[in-house]
Amino acid sequence: MLIASTDPLAFNLLPFITTIVVFSVVAIALGVFVWPKILKGLDDRNAKILHEIESAEAARAVAAAKQKEFEQKLAEALEQAAQMIREAKSEAVRMGDEIRAKSEADLAERARRAGEEIENARRAAIAELESHAATLAVSIAGRILKREINPADQKRMIEESMAGMSTMSGSSKRN
Amino acid sequence: MSVFLASESDPIGHIVDKGILGFKLFDQPVMLSMITLIGCAIVLFFLMRKAAKSIATGPVAMGNRRFIPIGSFAALVEVVVVYLRNEMLIPVMGERLTKRYLSFLLSLFFFILALNIVGLIPFVDIQDAIYGLMGKKFDIAEHETSAIFGGAATASISVTGGLALVSFIVIQFQGFRELGVKGWLEHLCGGHELVHGSIFLWLVVPIIFVVEFFGLFVKPAALAIRLFANMVAGHTLLITLTMFGAMAIKAGLGIFAVGGITIVSGIGAILITFLEVFVAVLQSFIFMFLTAVFISLMAHEEEEGHSAHGTDEGHDASVTTAAH
Repeated sequence: MLIASTDPLAFNLLPFITTIVVFSVVAIALGVFVWPKILKGLDDRNAKILHEIESAEAARAVAAAKQKEFEQKLAEALEQAAQMIREAKSEAVRMGDEIRAKSEADLAERARRAGEEIENARRAAIAELESHAATLAVSIAGRILKREINPADQKRMIEESMAGMSTMSGSSKRN
Repeated sequence: MSVFLASESDPIGHIVDKGILGFKLFDQPVMLSMITLIGCAIVLFFLMRKAAKSIATGPVAMGNRRFIPIGSFAALVEVVVVYLRNEMLIPVMGERLTKRYLSFLLSLFFFILALNIVGLIPFVDIQDAIYGLMGKKFDIAEHETSAIFGGAATASISVTGGLALVSFIVIQFQGFRELGVKGWLEHLCGGHELVHGSIFLWLVVPIIFVVEFFGLFVKPAALAIRLFANMVAGHTLLITLTMFGAMAIKAGLGIFAVGGITIVSGIGAILITFLEVFVAVLQSFIFMFLTAVFISLMAHEEEEGHSAHGTDEGHDASVTTAAH
């Protein structure tokens, strides 16, 4: 049926052929100028998104590794600090002990020296006392004898007295 | 207005394809659907080209913004393309066949969609109204129209038949390319296992051959009839609803009755228009999707997993359409 009809089921060859030709032309035109651009745009975007996701995941992995490394270093630093503190405490204790020992030694030395000085002073005082006592005894003895004693006698008597006192003091010390 | 009111009593007459008054080609009237087809093709091409420019990756100077589509229409096209490719075609046809036929299938979908959407816009009535306002009167026959563009092209069996023939050619091209002549004949006889199987299985081969051979033509014919029938049914309902007011006037009813009928039928027509927009998209999708299923049925057996899945969905889609 090649003429126009009011029957909706009527088949008309001209629109039939026109449809095939027009659709073929538009499909080719869209296939050449439109779909490749659209599909390439979509594929580019997919690739970009995929790349960004992969980059983000790689960056996250690097960050995680860095964080782990940092935490490890921090732990090491904390351990090192604790070690240093322990060493410093130990050193302080050691130095304290050393200073104390040195002080004690110094104090002992000073005490020893003081003892020696006291002993020396005591001896000197005793010697002086003995000398004065001898002089006094000679003087008294001279007065008793009513005679002048010359220096030579005096010296001899003193020495005799000293010797006698030394003997006496030695016997008194032993007693 | 006389032309507009002339079809009051015949909704089908309003929908059917008509010859354009005064235009002839090879002594045959140039049909309104032919001009609509060409107009839709041109508009579709330029619209899609604009969308393609927006979706395509821009220059490097734009930075990351070069990957973002510009404009809502481009974004809509992108969503549809991505959905059809990733969610519908690849699961049915597989990556290889989808890559090969995606361009054809997308063109088929958008072309039918453009024709269906244009069919919903009353271009013919608008032109008739303009002629009426200008006082132009035409001496036209029942199968002619003074309009030069518009009408529901997909409500013509000639148009849907043409589209189905293109699908048929592509489906058979895929069959011969993929299976070869021998494989194609084996496919018609029930497949390799059946042909090379037991001698008793040969008893069913003639039956399968007859069914498959007729199936070759029935499948595209079903595509054509489904699209045509849905468009005719929807438009008939829509036209009938819009004509109720004019029919009430003709029947000589009072002003309140005419007003009431017009308001109610007008609201009904608006609601049906929304439904028709949905049907326009759905039918475009079904035509394209079933073509994809039929193409995938002509693939090698290792890809029949996709095909079988697709056949079920195609069946579901057919059921949905039949229900409509």
